[in-house]
Amino acid sequence: MNNSLKAARVALNAFVLVAAVLPLYLLAKQSVTPELETFAWPPHWIPHHLTLSHFISVFAVNELRSAVLRSLAVAAISAMIATVLGAMLAHAMARSSIAQRIGFSTVSGIRLLPMIAVAIPLGIILATVGIYDSPTGIGLAIVHGAIAIPTAALTLYAAFVAIPLEIEEAAWIDGASPLRIFLTIDLPMARASIATALILCFILSWDEFGFALLVQQTNRTLPPLLYYYTVFGNVGPASALALLMMIPAICVVVALGPSLRGALTAGSSR
Amino acid sequence: MNASAKRLRTVFVVVPCIFMIATLVLPAMNGLLLSFDHNGPSLANYKILFDDSMFWRALGNNLLVPFGSVIVEFVLGLALALTLTARRNRSALIETAAILPFAIPEIVILTLARYIFLPRGYLNGAIAMTGMHPLPWLSPRSPLAIFTVIVVDAWHVTPVVMLMLMAGLQTIPAELYEAARLDGAGTFATFRFVTLPMLMPAIVGALILRGIDALRIFSTVLVLTGPEGVPVLSTYSYSLWDDAQKPHEAMAASMILALMVTIIGIGGLLVARRFSRDDGALA
Repeated sequence: MNNSLKAARVALNAFVLVAAVLPLYLLAKQSVTPELETFAWPPHWIPHHLTLSHFISVFAVNELRSAVLRSLAVAAISAMIATVLGAMLAHAMARSSIAQRIGFSTVSGIRLLPMIAVAIPLGIILATVGIYDSPTGIGLAIVHGAIAIPTAALTLYAAFVAIPLEIEEAAWIDGASPLRIFLTIDLPMARASIATALILCFILSWDEFGFALLVQQTNRTLPPLLYYYTVFGNVGPASALALLMMIPAICVVVALGPSLRGALTAGSSR
Repeated sequence: MNASAKRLRTVFVVVPCIFMIATLVLPAMNGLLLSFDHNGPSLANYKILFDDSMFWRALGNNLLVPFGSVIVEFVLGLALALTLTARRNRSALIETAAILPFAIPEIVILTLARYIFLPRGYLNGAIAMTGMHPLPWLSPRSPLAIFTVIVVDAWHVTPVVMLMLMAGLQTIPAELYEAARLDGAGTFATFRFVTLPMLMPAIVGALILRGIDALRIFSTVLVLTGPEGVPVLSTYSYSLWDDAQKPHEAMAASMILALMVTIIGIGGLLVARRFSRDDGALA
């Protein structure tokens, strides 16, 4: 009984390692292999020739370079929108039960909306406002900001709940206004969670594919660009791009590890 | 405290909620209205869908694929959560490796999966090496392609289920295991009569959240098989909008998906509420 359990455990661990590592190896291999060789049959497990041309093309081709910059800008702006609005919502939710109820029901209601049901009509609205498919990606940044608010709010909620009410009351007796208490006491005390929220929202936007595909049809961010490269057969650049795209996420998981795990699942959505 | 604090709280609730509603809910409402517009108000858009065999395939797949994917995620996620929380077996390396597929951007996972499952991809290469026949993993309209989509979807999301269940496992008091051991319960009996009942709220929560997410499946199908291979409602709607240039029919299809998610989501929440009342807090 115990032996077979142990065997199952070893098998599961081996499976996990293979599922996590082998694909990454193959991706890395493709990114440094000439394209002709990648299409060889049977597939090469170890590259016979090496090249850096795919990585060079990522920075040399205009379309790719501007997609990297656009993705960074959209992710940064949307993370700021979501964290500011999420902090407001989280603070109210932590201090009042009515706000809590309104907040939770809005957030869970939003989770029920399929991306496609929002994105198509939203495209029409963005077009009338004149920011559909804008080169700066501002329309997408607003959408990503909105879908990331639940993530930011849930991350910050726990932090605000943990701040003792006595501290706020003391500041109140000293004559500070509620806004001032929020800005000078609550926000600084929650700064670790604010950093976490910013990082999570940044990554949420950086990874987001659906809205990006529909809202930035020609001025693309990285995920839709990677999609077109993959589907239309540019294996080398697609692999190099995919490796670059993983950098922020992998850094976060490896560096921040355990403290982020709870938060990662809190706002996960497709 | 007092009126000015209350006023600030109201602003703090209203501004973010209005921003979310204006950006996400109002467009969806507009889409709902436009889905009933076919040169004037009518049900024509929906009728066109119901006459299209692709719509019914998409609807069927949209039930089959999420169902399969959630089951695979749950079984694998539970197995991983149980092995990783067993004290003797704690390993930071395995834990990081188990979380890795979720940390990788979805589109990167899908790019990889495509190269693995293509007819002349790595999986068939490995199969050919053993002397067996390669399989058409992504062949359009085949049950095998549905299987592949489920496996790839689960590959990316299993870590989430695992983390939710791990969080649930950590709340089970060690005394219960101690008591079970003193009573002479074996590994299986301990799991059946201690772990499983105590974990139930976390299991229900994970299944509901993942179920709602799985229903909205879009990119996995689009990247692996294209909109026609294993159509689901999202990709069907996308191809009506993008390829066929029929935005109002596309919106009608997306509204049927929204309706489906809402019904299943609200049903799930009602079930979850029952569990949280019986067993204390829902994870």
